[in-house]
Amino acid sequence: MNAFGLIQIGLMLSSTTIISSLQCNHLPLQQRKVIENSLRLLDKMGKKFPQQCLREKMPFRFPTQVLQPRRKETVGVAIEEIFQHIFYIFSKNLTLAAWDGTALDQFQNGLYLQIEQLEACVNRKHTQHHQSKEVSRLKLKKYFQKLDSFLRDKQHDLCSWEISRAEMRRCLQLIDKVTSKL
Amino acid sequence: QLQSKTIFPVDTIEDLSPGSSYCFKVQANLPREAKQGMFSPTSCVTNTQKVEEPLCATSLRVLAVNMEFQLLWEKQEDQEVNYNVQYLFGFLKRLNEDYSDKWLSVPGCENISSTWCNFSSIISPQGVYYLRVQARGGLNRSCLSREVQVDALKTNGIGPPGVKLELSDTWLHILISPPGGAQDEVMRTYYDLSYRIVYWKNSSNKEEEVRQKEVKQTIATVPDVSPSSLYCVKVQALLELYNKSSAYSQQECIHTPAGTPLPLIIFGIFMGALLVVLLVATPLVLMLYQAYNKIKYAFFPSCQPPLNIEGFGAQLLSSPYLPAAEEPVENCCVIESMVTEEGKQIDFTDCKHCKHSSRDSGNYSNDDNTAGSKGSKETLEKENV
Repeated sequence: MNAFGLIQIGLMLSSTTIISSLQCNHLPLQQRKVIENSLRLLDKMGKKFPQQCLREKMPFRFPTQVLQPRRKETVGVAIEEIFQHIFYIFSKNLTLAAWDGTALDQFQNGLYLQIEQLEACVNRKHTQHHQSKEVSRLKLKKYFQKLDSFLRDKQHDLCSWEISRAEMRRCLQLIDKVTSKL
Repeated sequence: QLQSKTIFPVDTIEDLSPGSSYCFKVQANLPREAKQGMFSPTSCVTNTQKVEEPLCATSLRVLAVNMEFQLLWEKQEDQEVNYNVQYLFGFLKRLNEDYSDKWLSVPGCENISSTWCNFSSIISPQGVYYLRVQARGGLNRSCLSREVQVDALKTNGIGPPGVKLELSDTWLHILISPPGGAQDEVMRTYYDLSYRIVYWKNSSNKEEEVRQKEVKQTIATVPDVSPSSLYCVKVQALLELYNKSSAYSQQECIHTPAGTPLPLIIFGIFMGALLVVLLVATPLVLMLYQAYNKIKYAFFPSCQPPLNIEGFGAQLLSSPYLPAAEEPVENCCVIESMVTEEGKQIDFTDCKHCKHSSRDSGNYSNDDNTAGSKGSKETLEKENV
């Protein structure tokens, strides 16, 4: 390389971890531990559900059919989507929630690691697009958008966050039940 | 030449040659949907010569065993330098925000002069962290070192397991205690370990071939160990997932006791059994024999009763004292010679079935008459011969 050489560097914005195929096989087991930990941290970060927030509770209707174990692959992709959505919801405007920062950070960190690993493994498999997968994705997108709108409407106050936290706990418990059967 | 790298929204490209120009362009992708975006416009920058900063901590490396994490680095300057070790939660790099204010200090490593830091307290098993060292010197100088990425479960090293040996009969039991120390529960929860057992026999100062065995459980057995030998064992923990292995455990040795050789045992048992049989069987046999004799004596006597005991039992064919009903007969001839008046000797041969008769043959009677006939009989016998 001479002193004034031009070096072009193309940068790609995506996952940075390199995962072996062996690790992809161990994902379901790791996933269960992530869910266990996530549930524990969700409980740890805040106190018991405040009574005054019960009035504001709203049915979000999680699309449970996306987790029907008809096809293992579809369920795996659905779980990854859910993790992504939860990760992004809990990533901002948390000041009014007044939760334990460390517990929250660890919660996010755990989800993030799992998302990275799932992404790398899905990439490797080069799964084809199926109609059912698209329908799943759209249903989940609709559900989480509803949650996001709810938070925004309430200006991310304590009650809206506590309701969201309870909703996410339900969601993770559902995933836990499904993964234990896989 | 074109180089490619995957990056976070906010990232650093390191190791650029000083004095060179670099041009960059970025492409955004959605890997799950296998979609690739278009490249951004190219942007160029020249790397100016950097003044070597001797204050910075260099050669950052992580030593982790059994979930105990240590960061080590090297000091360049020989002056007074204070270090502050900082960490960042990995997920923050993924968000589309500036995370430069999100670095936190590792408790216990805030204002230190040593070149190492134990950061286990901030680590959660499932997580990725970044660490860096901020060096502060005199005259308000400060420098941030490079970042080092720590994927807790991947970076962590496996410590050696513990080994205990036990003997029972001809079996050697190897009891393995999993590695862990203070964090053994974490190790057990997150790692699916298997073990490699290496063992060999040391008998009469001659080492035999070393054998290996891989197991998933914490108990293994070596069957049929030879007596009066020294067996040595060492164990290593293996983690298939990240292709990691621990150091070998301490070598444990055990002496097998001198065993009684098997043929001797068999012989002993045989002799014992023989003795028992003899002791029991002999009197039994004698008793039976006695009984048999008595019965035989009573019902089947070998000597005959006297003749004057009538009606005694069975037929006495072999008795020489009683006349037999039927006798074996012989053909015999009686030759009688008669002297006729003419003076010729006429022989009369009278052959008939002989019978024992009570008639005296006349050979031994004391009659004078017969003496003469005796003499003639003798002559006849001579002639017949």
